Amino acid sequence: METNYTEQIQIYKTNKIAALYPTAKLIIVVLYIFCTLVIGTVRITSLSLPLLLIPEFGIVVFLLIVSEISKNGYNILKDIIKFAAIIFFVQVFLIPGGRLVFRIFFLTLYEEGIRSGISLAFTLLNIAGIFIWFFQTTETKEIIRALEDSGVHYKAAYIMLSTFQMIDVLSQNSKTILNAQRARGIETDGNLLLRIKAFIPVLLPLFLTAITGVEERVLALETKGFLVECPKTHLLNVKRSGHEAYAVMVAALCTIFILAGRVMLCFLS
Amino acid sequence: MFSIIECRNITYYYPLSRFPALIDINIALEAGKIYGILGANGSGKTTFCSLLRGFVPAFYQGTLTGEVLLKNKPLSDYGGLLAKEIGYVFQNPFTQLSGVKDTVFEEVAYGLENIGADADTIEPRVIQAMEKTNIKDLALKNPLHLSGGQLQRTALASVLVQEPDILILDEPTSQLDPQETRNVFDIVKALKEQKKTVIIAEHKTDLIAEYADEVLIFEKGRLTNRGNINHILSSPDLIDRGVLPPQAALLSNKLKQYGISFDSIPITYDQALNVINRLLHTEKR
Repeated sequence: METNYTEQIQIYKTNKIAALYPTAKLIIVVLYIFCTLVIGTVRITSLSLPLLLIPEFGIVVFLLIVSEISKNGYNILKDIIKFAAIIFFVQVFLIPGGRLVFRIFFLTLYEEGIRSGISLAFTLLNIAGIFIWFFQTTETKEIIRALEDSGVHYKAAYIMLSTFQMIDVLSQNSKTILNAQRARGIETDGNLLLRIKAFIPVLLPLFLTAITGVEERVLALETKGFLVECPKTHLLNVKRSGHEAYAVMVAALCTIFILAGRVMLCFLS
Repeated sequence: MFSIIECRNITYYYPLSRFPALIDINIALEAGKIYGILGANGSGKTTFCSLLRGFVPAFYQGTLTGEVLLKNKPLSDYGGLLAKEIGYVFQNPFTQLSGVKDTVFEEVAYGLENIGADADTIEPRVIQAMEKTNIKDLALKNPLHLSGGQLQRTALASVLVQEPDILILDEPTSQLDPQETRNVFDIVKALKEQKKTVIIAEHKTDLIAEYADEVLIFEKGRLTNRGNINHILSSPDLIDRGVLPPQAALLSNKLKQYGISFDSIPITYDQALNVINRLLHTEKR
């Protein structure tokens, strides 16, 4: 039986949330970030802390779970949590100001430090988390295809897509350069310091290859008829799941609710 | 046959170079023929190919005098549409990659997507090109994970699929094994039967001798010889110009030194076989 390649390159998703159209998800991401920034201004408790950012992060975790993202997504989130924890502790213990909350030996916690720590760490977690959700449920080529469908010029779409794909190319090039250096007897394995030392000489050839790569890419595109001004055909079709309107409506209602709540709080205080 | 592409008084300097890469090139190439371009490294073969494709000076910049006409129209008049007329396979197959496609199938199909080909016709055309170049089993592999030879066949497929009238192949077999090299030349032969014009820069003179209709010899940027393939490739001074003559011609020239005479120096294996058969036949009698 003849293989249907066009069928095989299509992206199929069984999860209803993950299957939302990329632009709908992008709208949700934008609204979520907006809500995070609004919620971050709400201060509660006697220490006036932005504590509402903490349950908001629960929404991201919930989204990740119900969207059935891969293990890789959770690993990225774990790394972000570690980074946020560092930011939190640095802020908490290093920023003086406001009321003294706690002191043990040389460690002192001030009101200002806790506020800043929670604000920065959870804003980061919320924003990074929603992006993880977006990129774990949407492939780059889907995003670009959807953007092109919504009127973005094909040249701009290509630049965006090739920028994303460049990460793969650069990592492969860096491996090639490292192998070449290894073949010349340069130590590339060992402790962290040794690895950093080995990586520095990789940077220059890596960037030079990237620059010459741009010229090659221009030629490749020219031979592939990229500059022919005509309506482009697309083998990849990104379909709408049919739930986009509901999803965007729920996100918009939540945003309006949060915004209204924030305005009411302003009047009440 | 009519002249499909013509170079008039071409001299070209790469940017910042004091020495011309091409000097006073005047040539008209006929439609439906296979042209072999031969010359030592740095003789101007790739620059000439780039010139015919319009990369010189549009992409490489530099100074160009003279003009190149495609079907009696200056190349510059074609703009992006030149991709439909002339297919180009690069010496380095990595250059042929778009960098945005995840599979070989999509990479080969990309040219057709760009020229707005009918979506229903794309897959059969891509499959046909992949079958010709023996890469069908790689269809769903990532192009970045291919070997040099596989990449070179992918590059050729992505040009064949666009079915241009002229194909310029710059050392398209440099990373291929003998069997795949032979396959590429068989594709070239089939293209000739479809009345396509093929310009192929190669070092493998044995294959050029077998498949090309005419050869162009480049030396230090000059087109020093052009024309009858038998006459040029059997010349004993070819080696002094940085071109290794075909094995058959080398052997025949050597035999000539030992007093064995030939009506004409063979340049292909078949011709050599005929000559040897004739010699043996005469000897018996």
